[in-house]
Amino acid sequence: MTLLELKEGDTAVISRISGGKGVLSRMAGLGLHEGKTIRVVQAAPFRGPLLIEDVLSGARTMIGRGVASHVEIRDDKR
Amino acid sequence: MWKSGTTSDKSELVIALAGQPNCGKSTIFNAVAGFKVNTGNFSGTTVSFTETDVYIGGRTIRLIDLPGTYSLTAHDAAERVARDYLLSGRVDVIINVIDTSLLARSLELTLQLIEMDVPMVVALNMFDEAQKKGMEIDIPKLKSLTGVEACPLVAVQGSGVHELFETAIRVAQEGFKRVAPVYDRDVEECIAAILARYPSALRERLAVDERFVVIQLLEMDEEFETITRETDSDFMEYVHECRRSLAQIHDWPESGVFASHRHALVLDLFEEVAVVKSRAAVSPGEAIDRFIINPVGGLAATVGVFFSMFAVSFWIGNLIAGLVEGPLDSFGIYLNGHVSGSAGILVSGIYDGFTAGVGIVLPYLIPLLVVLSLLEDTGLLPRIAFMVDGLLHRFGLHGKSVVPIIMGYGCNVPAIMAARNLEYERDRVVTMLMVPFIACSARTVIILALAGKYLGAGYTTLIYLGNIAIALGISSALSRFSSDLSPGIIMDVPPLRRPYLHIVSRKVWVRILEFLLFAWPIIAVSSIALAVFSFIGIDGAINRLFSPVTEIILRLPSELGITLFLGIFRKELTLIMLNSALDTADVSLVLSSEQILVLVVFTVLYIPCIATITTLWKEGGAKVALLSIVLNTSVALAVAGAVAWLV
Repeated sequence: MTLLELKEGDTAVISRISGGKGVLSRMAGLGLHEGKTIRVVQAAPFRGPLLIEDVLSGARTMIGRGVASHVEIRDDKR
Repeated sequence: MWKSGTTSDKSELVIALAGQPNCGKSTIFNAVAGFKVNTGNFSGTTVSFTETDVYIGGRTIRLIDLPGTYSLTAHDAAERVARDYLLSGRVDVIINVIDTSLLARSLELTLQLIEMDVPMVVALNMFDEAQKKGMEIDIPKLKSLTGVEACPLVAVQGSGVHELFETAIRVAQEGFKRVAPVYDRDVEECIAAILARYPSALRERLAVDERFVVIQLLEMDEEFETITRETDSDFMEYVHECRRSLAQIHDWPESGVFASHRHALVLDLFEEVAVVKSRAAVSPGEAIDRFIINPVGGLAATVGVFFSMFAVSFWIGNLIAGLVEGPLDSFGIYLNGHVSGSAGILVSGIYDGFTAGVGIVLPYLIPLLVVLSLLEDTGLLPRIAFMVDGLLHRFGLHGKSVVPIIMGYGCNVPAIMAARNLEYERDRVVTMLMVPFIACSARTVIILALAGKYLGAGYTTLIYLGNIAIALGISSALSRFSSDLSPGIIMDVPPLRRPYLHIVSRKVWVRILEFLLFAWPIIAVSSIALAVFSFIGIDGAINRLFSPVTEIILRLPSELGITLFLGIFRKELTLIMLNSALDTADVSLVLSSEQILVLVVFTVLYIPCIATITTLWKEGGAKVALLSIVLNTSVALAVAGAVAWLV
């Protein structure tokens, strides 16, 4: 399952991020690593980006749908 | 490249502010240096470094404000500026500025800086926000675990800034002993094996801590890899092997295996030094945010922001212009009665330039600058980017282009520089070529003072919407020439923050000062030149030269040739010179409504001003600058010509 399939308000854990080196380290720079619990706050209109919240710190990041489709997630329940 | 390890002046202490984007480096810089650099609540306000001398605790410090960088592995041009400066060996102490409410994320860069082994201090900025989030930080423990001292502060209020610099100076004097981060055993073995083969040629080439170089190589840093391969390709091959086996052991992509280990260290450190207790109640900022992050509220807010930007400038501008008109007129009449002859020409030239600044430009400029500053400081810009990213993609742009575009309404020059935040060359070039189509404050003044005054609100709105449509059409057309697809936006959305009156007013003041010091003299000189030209009668020759454009294509009086030409230097000049060129204070007596419309449309679109061209040249090269001139001028001729002949 990828981040793209989550609905607004859903919470999940990032299990793997694929993509180019640039994308990977940009995500890492914003604190989006494997194992991080995130919540989808809002999807932008016009097939725009997703607004993601790092549940622990409350930090928010917008991620384009192309990138989001490369972020694999798993259920929040451990 | 990173060889010269000498400080220019040994007596001078060099302190650099480094940190992730939007953590408040420039705010700290301004707090000690006076308002010298622009600030805002979004990532990437600063795109190049600024240095200044400040006097703290009785000694001179060379203070450097660097662009934000998430890590030392740089991706965009602004991050490269920061990293190259930090590695240049010129810095005595690094002040690592942190948004304390994002401590876990910020520590990633902190750990990398510690690995560089340059004396450093951590500035725990926005400490109040972290406390409101229920966060408690054990500062002595942070010091014992990393060897780095940390100072809490709230830079926008100026509290804690002095103590921060005193600590930095003390660290410089008393020396610095870091605790190097220690990784898992297999990672450490890998580092040790590579260090054992570290070639002496590389040691001579790079004046940087060796362990740090090895870690950068393990992180697949392109610049370090290139240098290392050039110096000793066998060694680089060996690093490759180590990296590959490390990735295999941990079943991780090669590019991310080291970062994931560092991330584990960061989490450990974070858990050791910080405790997050219960969160405080929802703040007013969060309540507003909930509204504007929804599609309906967000789009309403975006439209509202654009509307208020111009409506506020127009209404308040008209109000101020009306207030200053009377006194300026009576001053003019007084001057006319007292000076005559050739001195009179000079005086009337200066008077025209002066009144144009006070009576026409400043009334509209000031409210526009206030609105733009509020936009920057509250954090609305990234939210607008979020709302319109999807739309902009259809025009070959990027949500990140929103920042340069909106800044472009103030001035195209910083807007073009802000395009540095775009990671991909294609996006950058398209944005840079699009920005000159955006009606900057000078052109907004022209629109409001001509279209607003003589044609009414309907036409003014039409001109703005048409302007946006043309700009989007241009970027859409340009992006068809390049098939590279950028992978999409990844952008930080900081919390909404309240603007501070002392910061907004300083920002507006600095920009007005820019107008007074740079634009006004040009306006005054041009004003005098125009008066002299018409006195000795060569204005006719210049006007005849441009008459094919003015009379035939645009169907305007040929007297406007010289004013449109002067507009290349400063766009305001076209407006200011209009009255003297047409010899009337009421333009509508000489020009028909259609002609005013043509004039405004042409002025808004044609050749970017000199400052914009220069910036395009510096940022994108001669080709981009030339392309921009050709593009703007031909679009202006086509659109304004069409209006002239069809309307």
